Amino acid sequence: MYLVPLFPLLGAIISGLFRNQLSKTAAGIIASGAIAASFVVSFLLFFQVKSGGAIAVTPLFTFIKTSAFTIDFAFQVDQLSALFLLIITGIGFLIHLYSTAYMHEEEPHHFARYFSYLNLFVFSMLLLVMGANYVIMFIGWEGVGLCSYLLIGYWFKNTNYTAAAKKAFIMNRIGDMGFLLAVFYILQKVGSANYATVFAFDGFSSTDVTTICILLFVGAMGKSAQLPLYTWLPDAMAGPTPVSALIHAATMVTAGIYMIARSNVLYSASEIAQHLVAIVGLATALFSATIALKQNDIKKVLAYSTVSQLGYMFLGLGVGAYTGAVFHVMTHAFFKALLFLGAGSVIHAMHHEQDIRNMGGLKKHLPITHITFLLGCIAIAGVPPFSGFFSKDEILAAAYAHNPIYWGLGVAGAAMTAFYMFRLYATTFLGSFRGTQQQLSHLHESPISMTLPLMVLALLSVVGGFLNVPEVLHGNAALHHFLSPVLTSESKHSLSHSTEYILMGSSVAIATLALIFAINKFSKNPELGEATGLGKTLANKWYVDEAYDAAIVKPLNSVSLLFKNFVEKGIDGLVNGSGKLVQYSSRQVRLVQNGQVGSYILYMVLSMVILFLLWWNQPILTKFIQKIF
Amino acid sequence: MGTTQLLFWLLSALSIFSAMMVLISKNPVHSVLWLVLVFFTISGHYILLNAQFLFIVNLIVYAGAIMVLFLFVIMLMNLNKDAEPQKSIWMKLAGAISGGSLLLIFVSVVRSASEMQSKQALLKTGNIGLIDQLGKTLFSEYVIPFEISSVLFLSAMVGAVAIGKKH
Amino acid sequence: MNAIILSAIFGVVLMMASAFVSNRSLYKTIALACLVLLVGANIAETLGYSFFTIDTHNMLAFNKMGLFFNTICFTATLLYVFISSSEIERVDNYTAEYFALIFFSLCGIAILTSFNNLLMMFLGIEIMSIPLYILTGSDKRNLKSNEAALKYFLMGSFSTGILLLGIAFIYGATGSFGLESIKVGTLQMQLSILEVTGCILLLIAFAFKVSAAPFHFWTPDVYDGAPSVFTSFMASIIKVAGFYAFVKLFESRIETTSFATNPAVGVNWHLLFAILIIATLFVGNITAVFQQSVKRMLAYSSIAQAGFMLFALFSVNAFSKEGLYLYAAGYCLATIGIFAVLVRMKDYTFEGFNGLAKHEPTLAFATTVCLLSLAGIPLTVGFFAKYFMLAAVVKQGYAWLAIVGVLFAGVSIYYYFRVIAAMYFKSADENPAAVATSSTVKIGLAVVVAGIIILGVWPHALLNFLYF
Repeated sequence: MYLVPLFPLLGAIISGLFRNQLSKTAAGIIASGAIAASFVVSFLLFFQVKSGGAIAVTPLFTFIKTSAFTIDFAFQVDQLSALFLLIITGIGFLIHLYSTAYMHEEEPHHFARYFSYLNLFVFSMLLLVMGANYVIMFIGWEGVGLCSYLLIGYWFKNTNYTAAAKKAFIMNRIGDMGFLLAVFYILQKVGSANYATVFAFDGFSSTDVTTICILLFVGAMGKSAQLPLYTWLPDAMAGPTPVSALIHAATMVTAGIYMIARSNVLYSASEIAQHLVAIVGLATALFSATIALKQNDIKKVLAYSTVSQLGYMFLGLGVGAYTGAVFHVMTHAFFKALLFLGAGSVIHAMHHEQDIRNMGGLKKHLPITHITFLLGCIAIAGVPPFSGFFSKDEILAAAYAHNPIYWGLGVAGAAMTAFYMFRLYATTFLGSFRGTQQQLSHLHESPISMTLPLMVLALLSVVGGFLNVPEVLHGNAALHHFLSPVLTSESKHSLSHSTEYILMGSSVAIATLALIFAINKFSKNPELGEATGLGKTLANKWYVDEAYDAAIVKPLNSVSLLFKNFVEKGIDGLVNGSGKLVQYSSRQVRLVQNGQVGSYILYMVLSMVILFLLWWNQPILTKFIQKIF
Repeated sequence: MGTTQLLFWLLSALSIFSAMMVLISKNPVHSVLWLVLVFFTISGHYILLNAQFLFIVNLIVYAGAIMVLFLFVIMLMNLNKDAEPQKSIWMKLAGAISGGSLLLIFVSVVRSASEMQSKQALLKTGNIGLIDQLGKTLFSEYVIPFEISSVLFLSAMVGAVAIGKKH
Repeated sequence: MNAIILSAIFGVVLMMASAFVSNRSLYKTIALACLVLLVGANIAETLGYSFFTIDTHNMLAFNKMGLFFNTICFTATLLYVFISSSEIERVDNYTAEYFALIFFSLCGIAILTSFNNLLMMFLGIEIMSIPLYILTGSDKRNLKSNEAALKYFLMGSFSTGILLLGIAFIYGATGSFGLESIKVGTLQMQLSILEVTGCILLLIAFAFKVSAAPFHFWTPDVYDGAPSVFTSFMASIIKVAGFYAFVKLFESRIETTSFATNPAVGVNWHLLFAILIIATLFVGNITAVFQQSVKRMLAYSSIAQAGFMLFALFSVNAFSKEGLYLYAAGYCLATIGIFAVLVRMKDYTFEGFNGLAKHEPTLAFATTVCLLSLAGIPLTVGFFAKYFMLAAVVKQGYAWLAIVGVLFAGVSIYYYFRVIAAMYFKSADENPAAVATSSTVKIGLAVVVAGIIILGVWPHALLNFLYF
């Protein structure tokens, strides 16, 4: 079992230490090979779990031992972590493979450094999901934060990129504080951080559970980019595109989901925390979807879409549909990795052009990328029978059972998702080419090592949903049954089949409408006024378009702009403001240090007087403090 | 009021006054001379406590050796009134106020300590400050600190050499 | 007793070496040999082989905890001398004297880990401090060094005055210098206000020694002015030894003088400590943010770290005890490591570190690990050190104080990462930023990095010794 994280660790060490000696090929083979090896082991483990149930906790050595508690460095592979292992190592391998081609322009030692970071990231992520207690999880949690910092700032010569890296790290640390406090709290109450012990512990009061859950959720908010800590994720797109795919779409950002799903027993015990999770998730889903509507950078659209999809997962967690959330993690990992890698392929072909206004008509130049990207878009839009449909529908159904308003807002978000994804698709691939002549002459399909991962992921995006076909569609809900030993507190919604059909039908219909509308609108080339494709034949649709524009798109656009310009700035300002406050007070406090011994002694004598006065007035003070808290 | 008490008040008043003069006088040489007077009055208190040995040691070491050294240094450095750095009146005021409050605090602590109110100073009768008593205590009960303080002096000496020696 | 006597003797040996050994490069070999012997002798005593049997009249009490702390300090000094001996030689002509002073300081530390009497504590503190005044001023031709030494001496004398006043108050109240005798007495006797005042004065004096705000004013100026190689010694080994004594002193008295036991005159220690902690964390972290010189930033960061070590005082329990040992080891390692790099820099500003990763990848990597440890990032010992401290506070039921600590730890990341960012993400000027590094230094740094990481993964490699 320990082999799974060991391979990437060895890979990271080898390609990190010998980065000056290794050729590019060797570094690529070592790094990808390490992940492939751990994928194979994960696969074996998965089947062992599938046939024989969870593997018991395996302690490697005693990690911390104090009078109050003992923490083992222990691994636990059960249904939930086995599933995550497969996702991480599987998609991780594909992305490594893809990177060997994508990063080929780098110098050898930077190339090896990149793979070293990437392997280290996979190692940390594996530690995160395999740990048998919160402390090990926290180590992995911090490790992925560090690796993400290193990878976002990979092109460190650009100060904007390093600023983005710093932002990501600091935002994550704010969240980590919550997590750390939760771990302290648990240790304090339970005296152990082992999952099994914590979940079986019955000494929690309801306040305890709520506090722990909310603190954990603060951690998840940072790592999984939820309101108000999400702003780092769009900026994190500064890193190489495969990194965006691996870290900021498929794996790291889902750590928060994993953590909450892992702690489902606690969350189900606290209604307040569940409500909070659901509301924050929903708000994030809607908020970032509106922003995505107006983005022109291909990676930014995908980034906001990621934030939005993560919001859905949290909605699922908040309404108790833990399997749905995990299922969405999985399908989302497939299609979002696919989309990012597709975007990477486009960017690669366009020589690092990321603005979709300068693209268009790439359909005939990049056939494989085009087809796979289209499949990814359909999957994320939630069109049956693609994978996104099943997972999103499961969350929405659970949301409906919880509160129909959740469902309504969720569907609105889903419609927006379909809209902006197809806006992206249409502007990029349809219409005519709008870039420079030079770019046009260089357009080429990417090499096989880039297109192969695309094809594999496309296949998975298409069929991935069949893993968990709900009963209402005469499926057997395989994932549901598989995960049920871990997600014990899953709440079963009891909707009649007809209601479910209506819900499914309406959400699909709305999403499809948005999709068609987007293709229709954006496949034309707005800049040159050329009307092509559907838009020409349906001339009388102008009126509808206008009305649509005026009634929905324009207000939405302005809301989107408003959010982008004011609310987001406000949030940014709040976060940056606290940083500024620190700097300001630093400048002031510094002045006290004036170098005069006389004034130092004066300050010290004054402090002594104050200390004595504090002692004499302590009853009043303690009373005062108790009143405040 | 007996002679002892009269002496006590006199010495106390004198020592406080001269201590203040140490701070107030502008000329560093005067300050040192006032400090010598402080040591003399303190030594007077030792006599009242029947500690002749401490009295003489205090005089020889502090008033004699150390203060003479101070005087030499000041004279060699040729410090005078002008060399003294000018401090703003606010600094002086703030210093006086905060120092004064600290003094008030200590005085009130000593005054409010219940066991101090019943205690009386042992005048003319104690034998702690006598040389044989001091020697016996120093070489029996307090022999460890006595010996270890040699390390302290040794390090101070090494330091003085390292700092003071020319290249 | 082994450590106290031998360190004093070794100090004399080196002092004599300066007179009788003309080959200057031999001094460091002698010093290293003596340190190895000292560590060995101390470990021997831990195992029960005391070379000297002396009746200490209950003035000193040797236990395994204190002896183990000695081992940590001596080993750290060994590492320090190993890495920095060439730098010590460069300060001035009196290399042997500097080594002698370091040994005298260690003698003070050995007393501070074993005192059982306020008198011995006072002696220990002074023996530890006086060599430092001189080391601070050892760069005689540098005006900043002279100024720093004088400042340190003046303010140090002030704090010594406070310390003596405190001891006098306690003696006046209890008639004893003992650490433990009061504990017995107070059960029958009423707690005297004099004793409490004395305790507060001792608190102030120690707060000065460990540079806790608002008694920290000397620290930035002195650390900045002293030759970097000696700042390293002061900021690491001396500081943690001061903390050990601080905790040792208050452990014995905190309960009898507390508000809970004696509502009439007792002190609400938690209130006072919390104020000190918050002030220290605030001043250290906030002021460090705006520094332009890395050396000065490290001085403030050492104040900030003192804030974390004060948690050990706040919550005197098994946790904080373990945390203090871990903190001592981790903080010494990281500080020695980072100063070893700093002394090799030509320019102490943040810009001076630009592009270090390119010219000197080894130095840059070691610095990064040390800074990460200081910032408390997991997989470094700094993380566990902070973790134990915070966990101890939470265990005492003061979660809000832990939150404050974590917040300030967050601020600290900013200035530590400024250095890392400068080294890795900024381009260098044309000439290399650091002077050439010998292989000795590289070996030493490798030990530091290995220590930080090993203890960061497995802190019980160290803590298990507490229970043998």
